[in-house]
Amino acid sequence: MIVDLTLSEEQQLIDASVRKLLADRLPVERLREPANHAAAAEHEAWSALAELGLFGLGIPEARGGLGLGAPEEALVARALGLNLVSPAVVAQMLAPHLAEDDGLRAAFIAGEARTAFANAIDAENAHLLDHGGAQQLVLLSGGAALIPRSAAADPSPVEGIDETVSLARVAGAFAAVPRNAEADRASLLLAAYLTGIAQATCDMAVAYAGTREQFGQPIGAFQAIKHQCADMAVCAAAAEAQVFHAAITFGHGVDDAAEVSAARLLAGDAALANARANIQIHGGMGFTAECDAHLFLKRAHLIAVLGSSRRAEQTRLLNGTII
Amino acid sequence: MRIITSPELEMFRDQCRSWLKDNVPREKRPPEGEAMRAFDLAWQKRQYDGGWAGVSWPPEYGGRGLSVLEQLIWHEEYARAGAPPSGAMFVALSHAGPTLIVSGNEAQKARHLPPILKGEENWCQGFSEPGAGSDLASLKCRATIDGDYLVVNGTKIWTSYGHLADWQELLVRTDPDLPRHKGISWVICDMKAPGIDIRPIRAMSGLTHFTQVFYDDVRIPLANVVGGLNNGWRVAMTTLGFERGTGTIAHQIELSATVDKLIAVACELPAASGDGRAIDDQAVAADLAMLRAEVTALRSLTAASVSRGMREAVPGPEGNIVALYFGELSRRVHATALDLLGPRGIERGGHDWPLHYLEAFKWAIGGGTSEIRRNAIGERLLGLPKGPNAR
Repeated sequence: MIVDLTLSEEQQLIDASVRKLLADRLPVERLREPANHAAAAEHEAWSALAELGLFGLGIPEARGGLGLGAPEEALVARALGLNLVSPAVVAQMLAPHLAEDDGLRAAFIAGEARTAFANAIDAENAHLLDHGGAQQLVLLSGGAALIPRSAAADPSPVEGIDETVSLARVAGAFAAVPRNAEADRASLLLAAYLTGIAQATCDMAVAYAGTREQFGQPIGAFQAIKHQCADMAVCAAAAEAQVFHAAITFGHGVDDAAEVSAARLLAGDAALANARANIQIHGGMGFTAECDAHLFLKRAHLIAVLGSSRRAEQTRLLNGTII
Repeated sequence: MRIITSPELEMFRDQCRSWLKDNVPREKRPPEGEAMRAFDLAWQKRQYDGGWAGVSWPPEYGGRGLSVLEQLIWHEEYARAGAPPSGAMFVALSHAGPTLIVSGNEAQKARHLPPILKGEENWCQGFSEPGAGSDLASLKCRATIDGDYLVVNGTKIWTSYGHLADWQELLVRTDPDLPRHKGISWVICDMKAPGIDIRPIRAMSGLTHFTQVFYDDVRIPLANVVGGLNNGWRVAMTTLGFERGTGTIAHQIELSATVDKLIAVACELPAASGDGRAIDDQAVAADLAMLRAEVTALRSLTAASVSRGMREAVPGPEGNIVALYFGELSRRVHATALDLLGPRGIERGGHDWPLHYLEAFKWAIGGGTSEIRRNAIGERLLGLPKGPNAR
């Protein structure tokens, strides 16, 4: 199968308009302000995100969506990762795919009904992420499913690695269910989000290496730094190419589970490796809470465990077929 | 981002597949020497006779004149059919030919392109020198003008199949007074010309593919300068760009097949613990899964590079990403193979894992070391400043 991985004019337009909205309303710097944590800033921008069509992007026009596909959704999810937008926005992109009721689907697409991720820890426990205001939850427990709030009642807040996302623990019936196509879509979009983190941290490290001077020159002139930056660019490019390749062929008769697992493994590794390298390249500043570098590392860890484990991805990939 | 398909392209793919099925040589390819050259040229001639040579080359020189899409389909099907590597024809088909198409004049193209496609003549490369490896622009092989001729003195090294080639794409310094990138010319050198001495170099794998070439007052017609006198650096960068771009499709498919083979081996091989099969060992399974993820990404990176190639006439520095990824991955795949096979891995014969392991080192060195590629990515793609001693 031949795929064109360059963006069409329409895709460039979508990418540019989403990036512009996020740069205006949800720039990474917002997270320096605790008042904007727990998706507070996202909730203020929710109707603008809905108006741009984010929540119905991959839904057929006959079902109230924009009739685009997984590539456009992945493009948006990458932009969400670049700006560390709440995972609830990714959940909201998935919810219309999972909603069987026409009214509920329309409400999700319009942004009137809200959702958030519930991520199974084991058969009896799950984490809820930025769940404030969510009427339904997108549960990731092997498969992906929409569940009512009542199935995850009385959550207790817990402190998480990423203080910018609210985390709660809840007891319920979360036993693993068989993998379904929407779980693959969820994993694909989360992989795209992770490539956004990989790209943002690479850009941040390159910008710093080009301006920070020591020994009378920018540190990026030294190969020890330059080569790290090059490796960051390569692993971000590889993960991104695989995510977009998997998105293009998604639902077109290839082994989606294997393609998505490859994307998820590489995107997770790229996000974590680049987030760590970015901290290292920023030196002492990178270790402080004043520098945004830590936000990317923490978010990468949080997203990496949503509906995914290395072992499960590796097994799917080994048992699958890659063309 | 989209799938590219049409009934015409699918029909073309079917035609490729069926021709290859009937025509890929069954006999074993000789590993080196004249016998290998004869095999590689005969296989090229067979492709030409079948109408499959130079799928995207101009029809006036014997090509099919089709788009890069058909070329890509041909490369894919070629690799999947297990067709032999282009070997002694590699430089002619992947470097010299494409460079002549972009930079050659009418007479040069008419003289050299058809014999390449017909498998009548092959080429080698004369770029690196003992003192000019990663720092290629410091090359010293000197050419002075004498009437209608260039007179060449100096030496070139790492010339694959130099002892088996008819022609050479040769970089010489034609003006030592110009800035170092400006005084270089790209010339067509006849490997049978008087004054050429070729000495084979044995590689660590035991294969003798490399040579060092010495030039002692070798006379080359000025008409053999490609792209203009003292313009050779620009002409050569085009060639390297081709190598770093679509040139890797065959290698990528081959490496994928190697990982598949390794997974199949792990499913058969008894586990080192004596309990079950090697693949049942979680550490082994994890290693193999990551290699599969990476060869899959290599495929996607190659596709991205080819997609860009459909829009740009000349490949950009992005090709370094694919080449770096391939070189490093290739070494790791073969190192994992020896690790997995244990005592069986040190035995030659059969698939000959040790040979492939030893040969794989070249992918992170030849055509630009991994370190030089990281410099190029850092400086030309990311815009980082040049190092303290770079010129």
